[in-house]
Amino acid sequence: MHDLFAVKYSWLIPLLPLIGAVISGFLGARWLKERSHWPIWITVGGSAVLSLMLLVGMMGQVPHGRGLEGVSVTRHIYTWIEAGSFSAEVGFFLDPLTAVMLCVVTGVGFLITMFSKGYMVGEEGYFRFFAYLGLFIFAMTVLVMADNFVLLYLGWEGVGLCSYLLIGYYYERPSAREAAKKAFLVNRIGDFGFSLGIMLIFVAFGTVSYFGRGPNTNTGVLEMAITTNVTPFQVSALGWIPFLLMLGAFGKSAQFPLYVWLPDAMEGPTPVSALIHAATMVTAGVYMIVRCGTLFIPNGLALLTIAAVGTFTAIFAAVIALRQFDLKKVLAYSTISQLGFMFAGAGLFAPVPAIFHLVTHAFFKALLFLSSGVVMHAMMGELDMRKMSGLKRVLPWTNRFMLIGCLALAGLPFLSGFLSKDEIIANVYFHSKLLGMVLLVTAFLTAYYSFRLYFRVFQGPLMVPAAPAHEEHGGGHHHHEPATMMMLLAVLALGAVFAGYLNWPDWPGHHQSLGEFLSNSPSILLSHELAGLTYGHNNLIAGAFGAEEIDKERLPSLARLHTNMMVASGLIALMGIYVAYLLHLKYRERGEELARRFPRISRVVEAKFWVDEVYQGGIVEPLRRLGRVCTGTDNQVVDGIIWAVGFVPQIIGFSLKVTTQRGSLQGYALLMLLAIAAILVIVFL
Amino acid sequence: MSDVVLQQYLAVGAILFVIGLIGFMTRRNLIVLFLSTEVMFQGVAINFVAFSRYYAGLDGQVFVIFLLVIAAAEASLALGLIVLLFRRRLTLDVDAWRELKG
Repeated sequence: MHDLFAVKYSWLIPLLPLIGAVISGFLGARWLKERSHWPIWITVGGSAVLSLMLLVGMMGQVPHGRGLEGVSVTRHIYTWIEAGSFSAEVGFFLDPLTAVMLCVVTGVGFLITMFSKGYMVGEEGYFRFFAYLGLFIFAMTVLVMADNFVLLYLGWEGVGLCSYLLIGYYYERPSAREAAKKAFLVNRIGDFGFSLGIMLIFVAFGTVSYFGRGPNTNTGVLEMAITTNVTPFQVSALGWIPFLLMLGAFGKSAQFPLYVWLPDAMEGPTPVSALIHAATMVTAGVYMIVRCGTLFIPNGLALLTIAAVGTFTAIFAAVIALRQFDLKKVLAYSTISQLGFMFAGAGLFAPVPAIFHLVTHAFFKALLFLSSGVVMHAMMGELDMRKMSGLKRVLPWTNRFMLIGCLALAGLPFLSGFLSKDEIIANVYFHSKLLGMVLLVTAFLTAYYSFRLYFRVFQGPLMVPAAPAHEEHGGGHHHHEPATMMMLLAVLALGAVFAGYLNWPDWPGHHQSLGEFLSNSPSILLSHELAGLTYGHNNLIAGAFGAEEIDKERLPSLARLHTNMMVASGLIALMGIYVAYLLHLKYRERGEELARRFPRISRVVEAKFWVDEVYQGGIVEPLRRLGRVCTGTDNQVVDGIIWAVGFVPQIIGFSLKVTTQRGSLQGYALLMLLAIAAILVIVFL
Repeated sequence: MSDVVLQQYLAVGAILFVIGLIGFMTRRNLIVLFLSTEVMFQGVAINFVAFSRYYAGLDGQVFVIFLLVIAAAEASLALGLIVLLFRRRLTLDVDAWRELKG
């Protein structure tokens, strides 16, 4: 394993995009200009090839490496921080989970950087865009490759920074600046909890490394947490750590109540929405929870919180998406909703389906975002669904790709989204009937809102917005569907259709390829073992950890559950599509009429449940008022006292000047004389 | 030199110093003021010489030589300044320059 080429040179995976970003960033403005994408293409492409080699190499190791320690390599590059007993390494932990995440990040990342060239051409600060993208890939690969929490945190904050920079890419626009600030500040709340969690981990366990020198050495946090000889302090710390880490995940992955930044983040260029705010960065929270499974699993309350918050976010965001009219906003709420599915899975003993959905979602959501980017370009920056219709005549290829993306998102049977979403729902339903039913309803809403979008924009009578709404794309491109862009969309569309077959459901006799591969990750392996010890193997679905069921008698009932769920969610998806067809294609007027008949409901939904307003009134304004009081106190009271103290010598000086310094030479001499006489009298008498 | 003689010398020095001081305080002419300071200088110089003689050392005498040299240098500078001041106001009255106050 150590002598694999991709393992030996794994440090190149984050380093290459960083080099590319430095080249583009420093040489782009002067020399590279319209060629600034080359360094990023080459370096991100290099990372993607290395990641793929790592994945393939690791797949070759899987049959031999099956054991309690799974398949993993720990590579220490150098000691980064050392202070007393604290030490943080720059080290990489490579296991199947890392390999899968790396392939998603660099693979989708590479496709999107290729796409960005055509999309961003002619924009102000072209080089800046690509430098940020390179920096983002660097931070994201560090995040998934890190072998300890401090390095993870570096990547975590790095992606947050890049997200901030890219949301605010059009910084001349006030709304973009505000959105960037909002994303940064909301993430700060989550990251505050996250950093407290890391500190508590160090205080309790004396290390921040995941597995220390390697699995089965009991030198890392993730293993020390599950050994039998934990101290009482560690036990109570383990009651807090999951909740603190969870807070960071909620912020980064836009879960309720910290989801508010993601819809606004659509102010960034569309490739950024596709890469950062749909496919990769926002899934960091899911990755983190799966990676740290052993910290979460002993704490049933924490797991329930994750699952409940995920499920609630899923249905909440889906409801909001029903009445959004901005194309990208619909997709943004859909992303929040799909992330909710992943959280529900990660919370309820289903790490493999969560990661599986993460992978398929990366493909079809990137496809949807990039297709909507093509629409946006063709419509001169207009994104309002009410102003466009029947675009299949103008954009025939985009129409097909959008249809594929929407079908995958809606969960049409046997597309990628269907398979992964179904697995999550089945697992959640197994553990909690209520949450499972809520997710089924959400699946219906998902199918409905995605086809509402599709039917409104691409089908029906042709309608194109009259005048450009924004000036930013007003360059007058009339070639709407460049061949290179369409080819990249085709690659993503292939992924959206076939990525589901990476993890074919575990009917008896079949084995899940992705799941079996992931089950060799020490994190998932230990999670499964620990969950079995804590909750009993009979209360778990082994397939959700990629493992084989021990009790063969349960197989038929589990298979029945999966089959029933597939039939149910397939029917539900078709039903959602049909309702959308009725209300938004066949009888379009009637759909609006329906909304008008329930004005209160549609108003509440259109206002997004006033969450932003509640935050504004309940948190932002009181804080701003507090800030004003503090500045007032500082300016008036504190500065006043200092000013008064400074005024005393001024007064004394002024009065002395007026009384003694009158310009008469002999007066000075007399005063001097008197003063000397006084001093002499004092000294000698 | 007996004690009595030393005190006589000191008295002469003190009288010279006080004459200079009173002159400095009461007169208005810049040149006379300057002369008064020179008189005060000589009073101090006599003190030096008297003590030098009394303690049979040469330190005081050396000081006096330095003092005379500095007084001479300073006299040329001060007189030059007074000439310049006179050219500006065409008067030697010390109060003509009152507005130089800080």
